Amino acid sequence: MKSNRSDAGFYSSKRILVALTLFVVALASSTLEADKRGEQLYRNCTICHGPDGQGIPLQLAPSLTSLSEKYIVEQLKKYKAGIRGAHAEDTAGLRMLPMAQTMITEDDMQAVASYIVSLGSSPVEPTLEGGDPVKGQATYATCLACHGPEGKGNDLLNAPSLVNQHDWYHLDQLKKFKSGVRGSNPQDITGAQMRPMSMLLADEQMMKDVIAYIKTLGN
Amino acid sequence: MFEFLDKFMPGILESLLPRASSYAVQIDVLFDVITILVGFWFFLVLGYFFYLIFRYRQRDGHKAEYISGETHKQKQAIEIPHYLILVCDVAIIIPTFLVWFNIKIDVPPPDEEVRIVAQQWAWTFYHAGEDKVLGTEDDIVSVNELHIKNNTQYSYHLESKDVMHNFSVPVFRLKQDAIPGRVISGHFKPILEGEWDIQCAEMCGVAHGIMGARIFIKSEAEHNAWLAANTPATSDTGTLAIVNQNRSQEKKDRNNG
Repeated sequence: MKSNRSDAGFYSSKRILVALTLFVVALASSTLEADKRGEQLYRNCTICHGPDGQGIPLQLAPSLTSLSEKYIVEQLKKYKAGIRGAHAEDTAGLRMLPMAQTMITEDDMQAVASYIVSLGSSPVEPTLEGGDPVKGQATYATCLACHGPEGKGNDLLNAPSLVNQHDWYHLDQLKKFKSGVRGSNPQDITGAQMRPMSMLLADEQMMKDVIAYIKTLGN
Repeated sequence: MFEFLDKFMPGILESLLPRASSYAVQIDVLFDVITILVGFWFFLVLGYFFYLIFRYRQRDGHKAEYISGETHKQKQAIEIPHYLILVCDVAIIIPTFLVWFNIKIDVPPPDEEVRIVAQQWAWTFYHAGEDKVLGTEDDIVSVNELHIKNNTQYSYHLESKDVMHNFSVPVFRLKQDAIPGRVISGHFKPILEGEWDIQCAEMCGVAHGIMGARIFIKSEAEHNAWLAANTPATSDTGTLAIVNQNRSQEKKDRNNG
């Protein structure tokens, strides 16, 4: 009896070991598959955002690598649902609108976001001139609450990172928020949070100043 | 004429997709004429070639013969089909010119107008609104949705923001290139209510294949209800602004007085 019991124990522990091994292998392969899926899906994005995810100004495409996974997924969901990028005057957004349809499920969005973040963030070439970072620092006090003192954003507040992003893109988005081209859809709750903030920037010079300050945060 | 000819045609395209524009029948008849004539010659020639291959196959005791094709009888083998094909060409060219004239040259005066702007990779439609004039405050702008009234003559003005696109509405049998820097006008008259596809039919970039939109053809009552529900409030605010301006002017006049 004793021997039988020990055999049973041996077999059951062996079974647990096999099950655990299978679980680990399945987990590892699913992670690998998700990575591959992300890489595969990102091929559709490379034409505009570049293979390194740094964005291509000529295609009106921003850098993606400094953004968080959560923010990328949320934006993809918005584009797919037509909450963002469906305004008639949003030329760049309208380009992104059909591309988001290539993400069939939320897992696809998660996989591509995870792949983008894995590409690693790096500074991009400045293009705007005439911004005063000292004046911009004072204006940035308003942005600080959500985007943080270092401009790295806050996922809990749905605020994206602003560092290592193209300055022309910042200017474009601020103008879009201010004119209602972005963030005016009633379903765009986080966009609606940003809209009144953009109203505080009286003119283009103020926008350029704050963008010039944001540039210093990335250095 | 095309309606009459249509009675004798197989209606190849219509069996695949309904006709929703006044001139779709002309395109369909032309398509049928071309398909029948070209198909007839295609199968005839194919059959004749197979017959020759079989008839003059390699056999014992038969030697190949070189024919220079100089005798009148030999030349007839080419001449007769040649003239018959020319007759068929004329039978295709005449309705082609008629269809081209009816659709492209003889443009009827429009009841309504719509501006269509193509870009990578979306369609923006500017509906003229209740005043039926484009470029006014009551224009209704929609992305990837064109709303039109059944049995109404429309004129469209097609533009492109970036590269070449093609405004293709299969149920209308309509395909028109959009060329950057140009405004291309055309016309259509919807005759069938429903919701149909619009697609881009000119390679325009990575998302060309999913650059689709929908066309909504509604009855007059339904279309008017849509107009009323979607007319932007700006015209009201515009009126309000004018009223307020007048009031402030009145105030100023009063103060000055």
